[in-house]
Amino acid sequence: MFDQIVMALLNGILLGGVLALLAFGLNLIFGVVKIIHMAYGQFVMLGFYFIYYFYSSWSVPLIPAMAMGIVAMALIGVLTQLLIINPLLNAPRLNQLLALASLIIVVENLAQVIWGADYRGIPLSMPIIQFGDIYVRSSFLLAFGGAILTLLLLYLFLNRTYLGLGIRAVAQDLDMAKAVGINPKVIYILTLATGGALTGLVAAFFVPIYTVHPHFGASFTLMAFVIVVFGGMGNLLGGFISAFIIGIVTSVTAVLSSAEAANILALALFIGMMMVRPQGLLGTES
Amino acid sequence: MQLKGKIAVYGQIALLVVLVLLPFVVTSRYLTHIFTLILLWSFVATAWAYMARFGMVSLGHGVFLGIGAYFPMLMFNYWGVTPWLGILAGLVVAVAVAALLGYTCFRFGLLGDYFALVTLAVAEVSSLTVMALREVTGGSLGCTLCATGRMADMQFEDKRVYYFMALILLMGAVYIWRRIDRSPIRLALTAIEESEIAASSLGVSVIRYKVLITLLSAALTALGGALYAQYVTYVSPDTIAGVSVSLAVCFKAILGGMFTVLGPFVGSAIIVSLEEYIRIALGTSFLGLSQIIFGVTLLLMIIFLPKGILGSISEKIARRLDRVTVR
Repeated sequence: MFDQIVMALLNGILLGGVLALLAFGLNLIFGVVKIIHMAYGQFVMLGFYFIYYFYSSWSVPLIPAMAMGIVAMALIGVLTQLLIINPLLNAPRLNQLLALASLIIVVENLAQVIWGADYRGIPLSMPIIQFGDIYVRSSFLLAFGGAILTLLLLYLFLNRTYLGLGIRAVAQDLDMAKAVGINPKVIYILTLATGGALTGLVAAFFVPIYTVHPHFGASFTLMAFVIVVFGGMGNLLGGFISAFIIGIVTSVTAVLSSAEAANILALALFIGMMMVRPQGLLGTES
Repeated sequence: MQLKGKIAVYGQIALLVVLVLLPFVVTSRYLTHIFTLILLWSFVATAWAYMARFGMVSLGHGVFLGIGAYFPMLMFNYWGVTPWLGILAGLVVAVAVAALLGYTCFRFGLLGDYFALVTLAVAEVSSLTVMALREVTGGSLGCTLCATGRMADMQFEDKRVYYFMALILLMGAVYIWRRIDRSPIRLALTAIEESEIAASSLGVSVIRYKVLITLLSAALTALGGALYAQYVTYVSPDTIAGVSVSLAVCFKAILGGMFTVLGPFVGSAIIVSLEEYIRIALGTSFLGLSQIIFGVTLLLMIIFLPKGILGSISEKIARRLDRVTVR
């Protein structure tokens, strides 16, 4: 039992890394464009399908197929901005939310029409690493390492480059950003492209772990939501910390009880947080 | 102003007459089924709009639908309790959940987006609960009502009975909407929506009014869920609890226009018929394609008719009438 809990704890930390990457894109989009991307998990699902498609139908080798999947998702992100978010920038919050929610219907059924309802996956055998009595799947370790590396690069991009500065400026104060000559529309497109590429990247990390089906994304959308709000909407560091909290809590509870109980507990944590500290773990009151 | 009022009154009387006569004129069972679904969802969407039009947008009405649908059905299947009583039990539970949820949310001052997100999470909890209790509820496979066909068990041979039940419920919901409009509740809630601090400084009990409208909305929604379960005789977390049905209810109300009393009805009529039409026109050869078209249509309507269909149209008519009366 003790071993199991230690293993769950370890898996929770590894899962937390990937969840942090997943939540990062949602958080960035919220922070910059001020929109809640309801179909974010569904985009991960779409990215997974793209990689699968390039790999199995065009017989592209796996790594280039993943790269192509990431590019394709970045393009999808740009299209989302141009076709859906741009016309709704000044619409009521609720309409933005529902427009992106109806995108869920479109994306899920598109996947069903094109690839069918079967579970699809790319068979890969990744070794299992053993430390004494504790086993770790190397696919999890790889995803964790990749996620942390990507987050580091994103941190550098946002803090050390000119474009990153522009993105942060728009997130902080739209009017001032406009006043110093930043075109927010360009920044929005860039943000959605980054967010889209991140969904493709998360999908690439998921390839050795999961198989994909049209409703694959739903649970990840909700998980990303919970993490982002728990950490403070638009607060990137808060999202990073809460990803690990949620990852550990869910994987330990799943071992001790059931997967549903784990999700219910994560949602209960989220609801409790909203009541007591609606600005989230690290958010500041506005 | 008078002209506008007269048109509205005559229009609504005509609509009511049409709705009452409809099942006798159109004898097709299939169409009657569609009309029943339209009325049922209009009723639920109207109940949802009770809260939403005062700025409390709930994305979690699936909870109340689910409680209203599952309680009478399970009580009947396992204990043989007649749904006439089971519905009451479901109502009590739904109202209790609404009181708990509403009071905590409003006590902690959750507004706007935050309220929407919390209710969304609650909706997900409801479908997860149904899954977790799969030994009792059947989990994601759903649950079927034991058929007896007896009136004492709220089962009727003639499906038109359900049509009229739904119609009566909808009329009740419209009547309550009107009553709210003429009562101090509307003034209080409008004031609260404008500014909670200003309203409470004038002595309006913010939490009490918000909880009151939440209880009303939840109770009616649970009633809608109960009638749905009795009529369709099959429930699953996908169709009656959880996130997707909660969003579906919002879509209907918003599309029709949630600030006008008949908006939710118009929205439900359009969405239910659109879904059916696309499903029939495309058949099962393209499973999912109908839903894609449906989703794209929704997207276009949300982008181009942000005030809802009835909202946009009645605004236009009102403006034109104003111009006529001024001249």
